[in-house]
Amino acid sequence: MNEASLIGLLVATVSFGALLYLAALGELLAEKAGVLNLGVEGMMAIGAVTAFIAGVELENPWAALVVAMISGAALASVHGFFTVALGAEQVVSGLSLTILGIGLAAYLGKDYVGLPPGAKLEPVQWGGLSDLPWVGPIFFNQAPLVYLALVMGVAVSLVLSNTRLGLALRAAGESASSTDSAGHSVLGLRLSAVAAGGALAGASGAYLTLSLTPQWAEGLTAGRGWIAVALVIFGAWRPGRVAWGALLFGGTLALKTRLQTFGVDFSPIILSMLPYLLTLAILLAISVRSRKRPSPSPTALGLAYRREER
Amino acid sequence: MKRPRLHLREAPLPGGQPLAFAIGLTIALFVGTLLLLGAGHDPVRIYSRMFEASLGSPDAWAVTLNRAVPLGLAGLAVAVAGSMGLWNIGAEGQIMAGAIAASWVARIGGDWPGLVLIVAMLLAALGGGGLLAVGPAIARARLGVNEIITTLMLNEVAIRLAQWLIHGPWKDPGAHNFPLAPMLPDQARLPTLFSRAHCGLLIAVAVIVISSLAVRYTAWGYELRIAGSSEATARYSGISLSRKILTVLVISGGIAGLAGGVELTGTADRLTESISNGFGFAGIIVAALALMRPSGVAVVALLFGAVQIGGQSIQTLGVSSSVSTILQAFVLFGAIGAGVFSRYRILLDGEARAVPEEVNQ
Repeated sequence: MNEASLIGLLVATVSFGALLYLAALGELLAEKAGVLNLGVEGMMAIGAVTAFIAGVELENPWAALVVAMISGAALASVHGFFTVALGAEQVVSGLSLTILGIGLAAYLGKDYVGLPPGAKLEPVQWGGLSDLPWVGPIFFNQAPLVYLALVMGVAVSLVLSNTRLGLALRAAGESASSTDSAGHSVLGLRLSAVAAGGALAGASGAYLTLSLTPQWAEGLTAGRGWIAVALVIFGAWRPGRVAWGALLFGGTLALKTRLQTFGVDFSPIILSMLPYLLTLAILLAISVRSRKRPSPSPTALGLAYRREER
Repeated sequence: MKRPRLHLREAPLPGGQPLAFAIGLTIALFVGTLLLLGAGHDPVRIYSRMFEASLGSPDAWAVTLNRAVPLGLAGLAVAVAGSMGLWNIGAEGQIMAGAIAASWVARIGGDWPGLVLIVAMLLAALGGGGLLAVGPAIARARLGVNEIITTLMLNEVAIRLAQWLIHGPWKDPGAHNFPLAPMLPDQARLPTLFSRAHCGLLIAVAVIVISSLAVRYTAWGYELRIAGSSEATARYSGISLSRKILTVLVISGGIAGLAGGVELTGTADRLTESISNGFGFAGIIVAALALMRPSGVAVVALLFGAVQIGGQSIQTLGVSSSVSTILQAFVLFGAIGAGVFSRYRILLDGEARAVPEEVNQ
């Protein structure tokens, strides 16, 4: 293992980590407001395909990113409508959303398979910082969405813990009826959180087709939406911890294709089980510990709220 | 301005769920028509082809029934857990675990007589699926860990386990370096009933009937349903919740595993990475449309199987398979929405309404 390939691994770790982090942050927002959305994979697929199409048609990567985020939010709002407004079962609606998103993405993208990208988000140059050994390529020569992920992480964290909006949002996920009594609209809070989550999942998908693998093919998201769902639990519903988890899981994705070049005789398939097994381990640890401390999971997660049934 | 709001009906509309499914199907057909027109196809021709290919002849019925078998068993697995208010999202992985276990038996019992081998494979499949559910079951029963997430995570693990076996230890040396598991021995194939329909149908129907009767008429099933409707009531009646959770989740996993075994011996030639084919996730939807009643699973699975097979058939007419995926999603959302309205009525603010009742969602 030489220096260049190790740097390559770390660069990819940060890239994949940011990809997972964007989607996981979105899921975190929705879950904090009390809505489990198992449609992440579908929203990522929609984000990926709409970003690619918009890139080809508009030839502007930033416009493509906006289109992807709006599309992700629109798809998420389908889940929001059924689960929040109608109170349908969140698990069933979320899984249906995954099917819908993957199907729609394939339908929309069928004429764009294999086309060269119309727009790409090129790595950001930070002047002298980008030339530093190690730190330069790893942190200061990444695609713009890596920095967006960081900014969004800080923003979500600050909004959730330091603002009235964040307090109301968390309250909607802890106890909907008392949030309602306090004069906040549970419906509005949850719908916005789900839509914002969809926008972030859309951005994550856009990162795939605008930077990481700049082309469109069916199945491009490759189960990464599920890793994002796992990450939220792994990070105990805290944006900061989710970020570290994203780097760890991003590392396993980055390492997967590189094991052979490093001369490590270990199956990359077994390695790719790691994020899920680690999440299971964390889940067990949380519940063993929560016998003494309260569980970090939002209390009203997965529960529909209707005022009449208060 | 008056704002519409939902109010729980005293009882669900009679026939609400079949109606919900029909509404879902209608919405799906409407959206599908738009999609087909958008892609320049003749919807009438496409829909008649879908019907012919799924329900139009004995051969078509055979294919549809073969598809309904794993969907029904997976749906049953989810519904059995669902009768107790538990979510088994792991049927997809348990199907894989069942198929892996059955392939393992086929590897060691390649020279056993057919009946012995098939029975052993199916029992192994039952065990394999159950085994994958043991962890989530214990975690939920003893520690209260949410089974939705644990079973979901194990899906990904089981699928990768199959990939690893196919790429590694179980790779067929005769497959010219392709990552393929060896073919099953000939006597490991389920016999056919008519056309291509295999005996898995009888197995699925038997398991569904037994489970429906068990849930509806036995003391065990009665306790299960009580535990599902109210944990507190269950505790007062002296039902051991943790034991119940444990057995129900493991049985649920076992049934899903059986689906994997039947799929392997019935329609697949060998263990593949895609043998679970989304059946586990579709099973969740089948069970939800059947309102978690094991008895309703068979009908929903048959209809859903027909939609899937019909959707596949139109690919030969140049219609992208994504149209059928989107159609399925619209059936689901249409049915979810209609299901809500069969249980709720829409009220406008200001209208008189009954005293709010306490509902434990």
